[in-house]
Amino acid sequence: MNEFLDQFLLESRELVEQASADLLVLERNPLDKATLDSAFRAFHTLKGGAGIVDFFAMAEVVHRAEDLLAGVRSKDLSLTSAVVSECLATLDQVGTWLNEIEATGELPGDAVIAAEPAQGDTKVAEGETAVTVARPTAAEGWATALAGRHPGVGASALNAILYTPAADCFFEHEDPFDLVARLHGLLAIEVEPVVPWPPAGEIQPYDCNVAILALTRDSPAAISAALGSAFQRCVVVPVSGVDAGRSQDLPHDAKRLVEAQLDLLRDPPVQGRLGRLGSAGNVVRNVLRSVGRASEADVVEAAARAARAANDPARLTAAIAAILDGVSAPEPAVPTVVDSVAPRTLRVDAARVDTLVDLTGELIVVKNSIAHLAVQAQAGDSNVASRIRDIHTSLDRLMAKLQRSVLEMRVLPLQQVFQRFPRLLRDLGVAAKKPVQLVIEGGDTEADKVVVEALFEPLLHVMRNAVDHGVEDTPTRRARGKSELATVTIKAWRDADHVVVEVRDDGGGIDVSRVKEVALKNNLVDEDALEALPDERVIDMIFEPGFSTARSVSGVSGRGVGMDAVRAATRRLGGTVRIDSLPGQGATVRFQLPFSVMMTTVMVVTAGGQAFGIPLDTVEETFRAEAGRIVPIAQGRAIALRGQTVPLISLAEELGLKGLDPERPESIVVVVHGHLGRGGLLVEDVGESMEVMLKPLEGLLAGMRGIAGSTLLGDGSVLLVLDPAEILS
Amino acid sequence: MTIRLRSGDEIALEDACPVEDAATLHEYLVAAPGAIVDWSACDSAHTAVIQILIALRPTVRGHPRSPFLRTFIAPLLQPRQLDSAVGSGRG
Repeated sequence: MNEFLDQFLLESRELVEQASADLLVLERNPLDKATLDSAFRAFHTLKGGAGIVDFFAMAEVVHRAEDLLAGVRSKDLSLTSAVVSECLATLDQVGTWLNEIEATGELPGDAVIAAEPAQGDTKVAEGETAVTVARPTAAEGWATALAGRHPGVGASALNAILYTPAADCFFEHEDPFDLVARLHGLLAIEVEPVVPWPPAGEIQPYDCNVAILALTRDSPAAISAALGSAFQRCVVVPVSGVDAGRSQDLPHDAKRLVEAQLDLLRDPPVQGRLGRLGSAGNVVRNVLRSVGRASEADVVEAAARAARAANDPARLTAAIAAILDGVSAPEPAVPTVVDSVAPRTLRVDAARVDTLVDLTGELIVVKNSIAHLAVQAQAGDSNVASRIRDIHTSLDRLMAKLQRSVLEMRVLPLQQVFQRFPRLLRDLGVAAKKPVQLVIEGGDTEADKVVVEALFEPLLHVMRNAVDHGVEDTPTRRARGKSELATVTIKAWRDADHVVVEVRDDGGGIDVSRVKEVALKNNLVDEDALEALPDERVIDMIFEPGFSTARSVSGVSGRGVGMDAVRAATRRLGGTVRIDSLPGQGATVRFQLPFSVMMTTVMVVTAGGQAFGIPLDTVEETFRAEAGRIVPIAQGRAIALRGQTVPLISLAEELGLKGLDPERPESIVVVVHGHLGRGGLLVEDVGESMEVMLKPLEGLLAGMRGIAGSTLLGDGSVLLVLDPAEILS
Repeated sequence: MTIRLRSGDEIALEDACPVEDAATLHEYLVAAPGAIVDWSACDSAHTAVIQILIALRPTVRGHPRSPFLRTFIAPLLQPRQLDSAVGSGRG
């Protein structure tokens, strides 16, 4: 790929991010002029860039979205969520193209074809109103989706109308529904609020807050005649011809296979719905491909992905049903943003690079002095030893500096991962029919690249849970006197050597009694133990692996899905995660992560004659204990420490090594804490502590319990670093 | 009057409801959120009135005389899909 294209990719990605973020802000606050301008600029620059690299298909598609925003700026159009969805769909299309360019190094070959129907042909309709009548494209998602939602009439519809009356239209004697009712060929109507409905008492009865989506058999001219001057506030998109060429039925066998999948999906949900979604999607996709209907196969595949992401088979069912009906399948309304726009290039502050250049210079000086030293040594100089020590000191200083500089270069603001969530949360909210807004705080908090990038998945799980299970449905929220628009807050801050990331929702909180019920049902704990547990420990059980597979919680699969995965992923990063809940007020999931995963301070201990490292941040204290203080309890041992009983484990025995001599008069106890509480490790000796680069175990050893990773010591030997939390559990 | 408050928390929309009825309807529904709206004698309704019905979703009774209301607006006032109600597990 040439550098030109490289730069284009980089900039376009940033512009797509910027435009997405702006659009989402606008959706909540359509009157925010500065953001509208910013979004408009982003689209405009995106178009310009596409023109420069001769990517005309993209320029064309972006141009159309830009036109929509221009309409909003000139107040010809209201900024409805349909307009936002339209623009977002364009950005999705651009994102797909960018990925393709990145993969192949060339402009997509079929983009030219894709651009063909994207060319809007401007027609002058009756009444001398110039309207852009665009042919449907992937970006015209709302019209296709609208037709798809009305399979009964969608096939005979000619045009889809998006009519957004002005807020003050009632004062102008405009009666939008009355106008729409004049359409002779009206087939279906949908209504959406221009801004989310405020609480009942705050609704302004004389402000028009509805946008009307309609399907009609009328021609644009007839629509213009019926709507009169209101036609200027309409976007008209032809929907006919979408299913042309697909109207032939599937071959008999193929049809039966597809129907069977549909039945399967419509069965009441039982075990393994996600798996079922996936396999049904695959079967239908393969059937369609085998009969040469690849584009529909792609639609089904996308719908299956969206359905899995939302854990809701409705999308897939609708897509399959649409194919059986011979109607074009709706574009999946929840595009999986997951696989797009991951940062692949690292932008580094020039000052940081300068520091590296300086360091390189200093290192060369030290290297040269070693050559000089070699000459001195050969000559039998007696001062060589002290010179070597000097050079070692310089090297030590420079290496430390180098290490720090390189680490800093890998540092990214968390915004990198946060910025993908507003869009995602919006789509999750739409899928769950719960209006949700995302508030981001502390996006400029920095953390190691590895941490930032690995955070995406766990945060996604948590947010999905927050929307699906935390946030109440609209009637419940209304009944509880909460704003219908739920808020999920993601907040990050630096806390000494750690980065804390918090996801808070203002939903119903966690139902402790229900968690208890499930824990009992799944034998995670017995009844007596459960009674003794404080609420916070009960809530913590949703992180247990056995809990998340629990199907019995409510009859809905996916409840708590992934919370054990969330904890596992966090622990892989060397962090912890916990959850707090205030009944009726929401839940907070808090991640505490190391600032950098590369450097860990470990304490070296000896057990069974071997050296092991224990991460220093898990060590509470170290002390010598006389044999008499250690008392046997049940099968184990324990020691009383300042009034508390601390269970003891012999590290050597635990690791399968030769144990300590039980007759030793004195033992060394290292008290460590894990997420289940603290415990003491009996070791033979405690050595120095050191900073090490921790490497996770790979290959066959990857799954080894109790080992966090390994590092090389100065003498070339391998030091295994333990994971006390795993050893204690 | 084209809008009346009957006894027992029931609001009747009759004949052609003009834009002014929106404020009255809004007022009634805010005062009595559980009220039922009977629109069986409704010939037509201004967008402002329909907007209140769409925003507040009261239970509506009867089939309005207007074919437009019957065919296109009534389906929008169906009780909300209960598919989100199962999300109450945590709440």
